[in-house]
Amino acid sequence: MPLPQRGGPLAGVRVLEITKVWAGPYAGKILAHLGAEVIKVESRSNIDEMRAYGGVDMNAAPYFLSINQEILSVQVNMKTEEGLDLVKQMVAQSDIVIDNIRPGAMERSTLGYEDLRKIRPDIIQVSIKMWGNEGPLGYQTGYAPCFASLSGLTALVGHEGETPKGMNIRYGDSTAGAAAALAAIAALHHRERTGEGQFVDLSAVETMTSLVGDSLFAYSVTGEVPESDGNYHPDMAPHGAYPCAGTDWISIAVADDTEWQALCEAMGADALAADPGFATPALRVANRRALDAQLAGLTAGQDAAGLADRLRKAGVPAFKSMSSIDLCSDEYLWNRQGFRMVDHPHNGPRPIIGPSWRMTPDMARVERGAPALGEHNDYVYREILGLPQERLDDLIARKVID
Amino acid sequence: MTTPPGALAGITIIEIAERPAGENTGKLLADFGAEVIKVERPGGSPTRRMGPFRNGESTVFAYFNTNKKSVVLDLENPRDRAALDRLLARADALIDDHDEVWGAAHGLTADAVAAAHPHIVHCIITPFGQGAPAEWQKARPINVINAGGWAYHSPSEMPDEKPPLKGAGRFLPDYESAIDATTCLLASLHRQRKTGAGQFIDISEVEVQLNRIDCVLDRMLAGEAEPSNERTAYDMGGPGTSFACKDGHIYIFMTTRNHWNGLRKLMGDPAWARAFREDWLEFDCTRDNVAAFRRQFSDWIAQQDKMPITEAAQKLGVAMVPVSTAADLPRHEQLAHRGFFQQGEHPAFGTVAYPTVSYRMSASPVRITGPAPALGADDSEVERA
Repeated sequence: MPLPQRGGPLAGVRVLEITKVWAGPYAGKILAHLGAEVIKVESRSNIDEMRAYGGVDMNAAPYFLSINQEILSVQVNMKTEEGLDLVKQMVAQSDIVIDNIRPGAMERSTLGYEDLRKIRPDIIQVSIKMWGNEGPLGYQTGYAPCFASLSGLTALVGHEGETPKGMNIRYGDSTAGAAAALAAIAALHHRERTGEGQFVDLSAVETMTSLVGDSLFAYSVTGEVPESDGNYHPDMAPHGAYPCAGTDWISIAVADDTEWQALCEAMGADALAADPGFATPALRVANRRALDAQLAGLTAGQDAAGLADRLRKAGVPAFKSMSSIDLCSDEYLWNRQGFRMVDHPHNGPRPIIGPSWRMTPDMARVERGAPALGEHNDYVYREILGLPQERLDDLIARKVID
Repeated sequence: MTTPPGALAGITIIEIAERPAGENTGKLLADFGAEVIKVERPGGSPTRRMGPFRNGESTVFAYFNTNKKSVVLDLENPRDRAALDRLLARADALIDDHDEVWGAAHGLTADAVAAAHPHIVHCIITPFGQGAPAEWQKARPINVINAGGWAYHSPSEMPDEKPPLKGAGRFLPDYESAIDATTCLLASLHRQRKTGAGQFIDISEVEVQLNRIDCVLDRMLAGEAEPSNERTAYDMGGPGTSFACKDGHIYIFMTTRNHWNGLRKLMGDPAWARAFREDWLEFDCTRDNVAAFRRQFSDWIAQQDKMPITEAAQKLGVAMVPVSTAADLPRHEQLAHRGFFQQGEHPAFGTVAYPTVSYRMSASPVRITGPAPALGADDSEVERA
């Protein structure tokens, strides 16, 4: 049965995903949300951990459902020769192959780039590894907070004068996946232009490094090593998070005298407005510790969302620091479809985090939740590979499809 | 040496963006060999006035605008605004990061551009996306990262009394938004190759922030995990964090008995470590145990040098790594092997090391072929248009 047409700028592009956990599936998700047909190669004998966390039904596993919307699932046991041969037949029908499995594992399965280009000369292979696929440390694997630390990013995140603790421990995997999706589409352009495929070798560490590129470049120019600096900004003060009622915080960033006067007026802080120590942007930056302390005294106890609203209306950039409950219950985000619903024949409706973009016209439809294991076996084996039903039944019986 | 044409050779992109979000989007596309013409206001892009400076030039501008051309147009002036239309008539895409009020005032809304230039892929990056209340769109990166939830939850394990943090450097949300904007522009330009038709792309910087935490936040939306006002709501638990060592900092991540046994070996099996069950990370990872571990471990690690101890740890299967600084990276053997930093000449700075991108592409490698342009260096492009 052919699949419904979802539209979108990548309609007609087929992606094969040999991925696990977060970074690889996230790359697949981005491409699927842009309209590509993304097929995840899975096996009961080598399951994506995200289907297992929590010890629940692998077709209703929360972590898995939260990422893999609009992905197709095909089962195949890649540890069998026949299974590998089937994967290669899928490669022959695909434009892009993405993997994020252990360094060397694709090559050991004869699915390295040199193998794949023999099957399909213009194939694009995108491989996500902690350090990339080769080089002196190419063999190493790691976890997101490790590659953030190695990258130079963690060193820049921390309260002033304290051990830099870095971004939240969850930061890093999804960004690496997003960079992989970007590079995959760039490679499609090269193929359109020249007919040539290629190997895209992505380093998760370098993805993090590239997020602090301007700081590293500045070091190269000035020789000054940047350090973690709390919420310091060289040109803005106040610039930070200030305490409000309960455990709430408000972010405020003031760039010039107009915003400063507006802030003081909205806060009813005449003394602050008149304080010569805070009279110019340069003075406010120089005296920022005193300024931060005084401002914190004024924000303390206030309703963060209400204060932020008042400040914004007065022309001062301000927003509540959003907790998870704030985000989940945010009317604006729901109304704009930042959060939206998908459906699934087995699991029913589910809210998801929508794409960060809208496109007009021809936005790819994102309507279907993450797939059950092997949900698209028929489509892949019968429609794409053209296998007869008896052959499919036989492969299932012999657990080549498991 | 000749540089092979990039993946986007032959594609022309007009950039009217004035913030790092849009400027980095243009940079990532210029990396692939697109001709990116940056339209600057008289006096230049606001990023030209962002420090650090050297010899009077901004390092921020120099970083975000490599491989681009610069033309000066005063979009308040009808003649210059008409020149922009002439540029768009021969271009493939337009990158903007102004708010809707600005777009309406300059005839550069989604509808206006689609009507005048139906072939153009038009991307606008704004803090909250199109249709947000006007005053929300005047948001700085620190407001975006707070509105998107990452600040409240960073670093991990922060107590209520410590302020949420803006992230690394000044522009972390801009970098993240630029990735999604570039991805969408690439996808839409791919569609344009097939159909000749343009598209409008609306990027919400806050929604980029939300999307990056999908597998944590979505489980809360779906009721499988509890959303709360806890600062630790995104955390994983466990002893992983950074510690001060003799010459800097290290980060350790541990979840299995293999990690623990490896670490004990690395430390020479001290007596205090024997008080922990071998499988404590899996089955006895209580708050007290984590605290007790950290107390003892910090004394030991404080006496170690970060490079030798982390190298020894890796050999024992312990996920302990150095917290690299800007000074460590240019001489890092793996980054050097991959050519992550590219040497270049800058007219004001001399020889510099440009950080590049995380994707090494075998057939269409990313190259820095030219420094950020002088203001108006390519004004003749306007006459050509």
